[in-house]
Amino acid sequence: MSEILRVEHLKKFFDVPAGTLHAVDDVSFTIQEGQTLGVVGESGCGKSTLGRTVLKLIEPTSGKIFFEGRDITDISKHENRELRKKMQIIFQDPFSSLNPRFCVSDLIADPLKTFGMYGKKELEERVLEIMDLVGLSRRYAYSYPHELDGGRRQRIGIGRALALDPEFIVCDEPVSALDVSIQAQILNLLQDLQDKRKLTYIFVTHDLSVVKHISTDIMVMYIGVMVEKCPAKELFARPLHPYTKGLLSAIPVPNIHHEQKRVQLQGELSSPIDPAEECRFVKRCPYATDICRCKQPTYEEVTPGHFVSCHNVREINGL
Amino acid sequence: MSLLEIRDLTIQYKTRKSVVEAVNGINLKIDEGKTLGLVGETGAGKTTTALGILGLVPNPPGVIAGGEIYFEGKDLLKAKDSEIRKIRGNKISMIFQDPMTALNPVIRVGDQIAEVIALHSGCSKSEASAKSIEMLELVGIRAERSTEYPHQFSGGMKQRVVIAMALACQPKLLIADEPTTALDVTIQAQVLEMMNDLKVRLNTSMLLITHDLGIVAETCDDVAIMYAGQIVEYGTLAHIFDNPMHPYTIGLFGSIPSLDKDVDRLTPIPGLMPDPANLPKGCNFCERCTRKCDRCAESEPEYLEVEPGHFVRCSNLNGGAENV
Repeated sequence: MSEILRVEHLKKFFDVPAGTLHAVDDVSFTIQEGQTLGVVGESGCGKSTLGRTVLKLIEPTSGKIFFEGRDITDISKHENRELRKKMQIIFQDPFSSLNPRFCVSDLIADPLKTFGMYGKKELEERVLEIMDLVGLSRRYAYSYPHELDGGRRQRIGIGRALALDPEFIVCDEPVSALDVSIQAQILNLLQDLQDKRKLTYIFVTHDLSVVKHISTDIMVMYIGVMVEKCPAKELFARPLHPYTKGLLSAIPVPNIHHEQKRVQLQGELSSPIDPAEECRFVKRCPYATDICRCKQPTYEEVTPGHFVSCHNVREINGL
Repeated sequence: MSLLEIRDLTIQYKTRKSVVEAVNGINLKIDEGKTLGLVGETGAGKTTTALGILGLVPNPPGVIAGGEIYFEGKDLLKAKDSEIRKIRGNKISMIFQDPMTALNPVIRVGDQIAEVIALHSGCSKSEASAKSIEMLELVGIRAERSTEYPHQFSGGMKQRVVIAMALACQPKLLIADEPTTALDVTIQAQVLEMMNDLKVRLNTSMLLITHDLGIVAETCDDVAIMYAGQIVEYGTLAHIFDNPMHPYTIGLFGSIPSLDKDVDRLTPIPGLMPDPANLPKGCNFCERCTRKCDRCAESEPEYLEVEPGHFVRCSNLNGGAENV
């Protein structure tokens, strides 16, 4: 197993009228081939921006991105285009991410045509192959997106991402717009494809039960910074950061015998615009001390493989 | 008699080309102070049912084709418009799904709440606005924010405003249509706790429409599972969560990734919900069912009481029980 993606001190700031918005602020991680990194957090925490910056769909403000050992942070437009064959994205909303005037086979053929990879006859064959792969019946080849339901539309989105046979896919909330019974179908499909083609995923979502199900490692983000990262099972068994604890205990569990010890988080996310030099979570944290109000915590390995950024992590968890 | 009793309610959307059978003969009961969870997928007819209770089904194309809705012993479907208007927003009120669109963007939130109060209690403007501030404080919004406009609030705060508005006249029955779907989990937990707390304090009954079984487990007393316009299973929380009998209910539980257990693969329900404009002749769930028999495609299953208070609409329950 080898490392496929390495991200070092990645930052992405946006200039907005009110100041500088810190969407992604100093994020570092690596992903091994064939694994899934789940990225969770509440809306506005920068998880989608992270996914897009890693793909170079947005230029990072600073930091480095290595893909298969090669620095891709400052590559040329041409090289960037070539990179698209290896790195792809599945979008959240299958209703707005598909061109309504393209039929299914046009939509799936689109990335193939862009790279001029096949002749006309081969192209048709290839499109049908991809439709089989993602479980879209061939009779829909000439249907338009509005004729299909959300689950099938999302299969088109997945087909488009897979058309170029990529190695790495960012899944940006691919199942949030779907009903549970359909969501389960799509999650199984993504897992099957991963097994078959040795795909590596970054799986961005706000749904914690989904992320637990599909991820190898999970990273929790809060207002642009990573607060905790560790293997999926470890995160749910032993969350160390106070935000993760609150987040996990806030999930309603579909089991009436489940005893809920809720760490209720008060308040809401503070603004990511020009954040003060303090822990981002300090205003909602039940354990906040003086040091949290004047210094940003560093990101450190607290137990083997378990990274947390919190000043008081050892005191809170009795480590 | 229960606070709300729905009998054989049928609602259709009629267009020139087709008749969409959104709600097909459902029966529901809510007692005072109790919460009923109405669970189902997109297009199952949950919201249409809620609109039917409030007399808000858009007509045309919507028609209430049959049934009775008794509220405090009175049939709402036979009531005059003027009578319904006195009940709606007063004794029965609704929390809409999307707080972003449920508020008027050009009216201050305090005034929006005061409008409901003034309309139903007939009190003076200043009294109404004092009451509206009280309501905002009840849901945890500071009094000075009552003069702000909806866009100045975050999603969670907007939902609190909508809840304050729904509770302003101390309704007997609160219909909450996916009240937390648009919110983040930590905010959702805050809003749910607040709603539970207010429900107990004001002794309000609630019809909670949701697709999240986790929320149902936390807040409801009874559960109705809806599929293609019908209630396929109905019972207490313990009936549905400990002893689900209908294959659709069982399928729903299998589709949710569990936080407690480690499951390698989910067991989704294959296929899709049938088109409500073209429902099959027999059981609506037949095509997706794992334990169907010949009878299922032929005749509509009966709605049977399998144990006291636990109803299931399935013709092949025994066959199923052996398989499980």
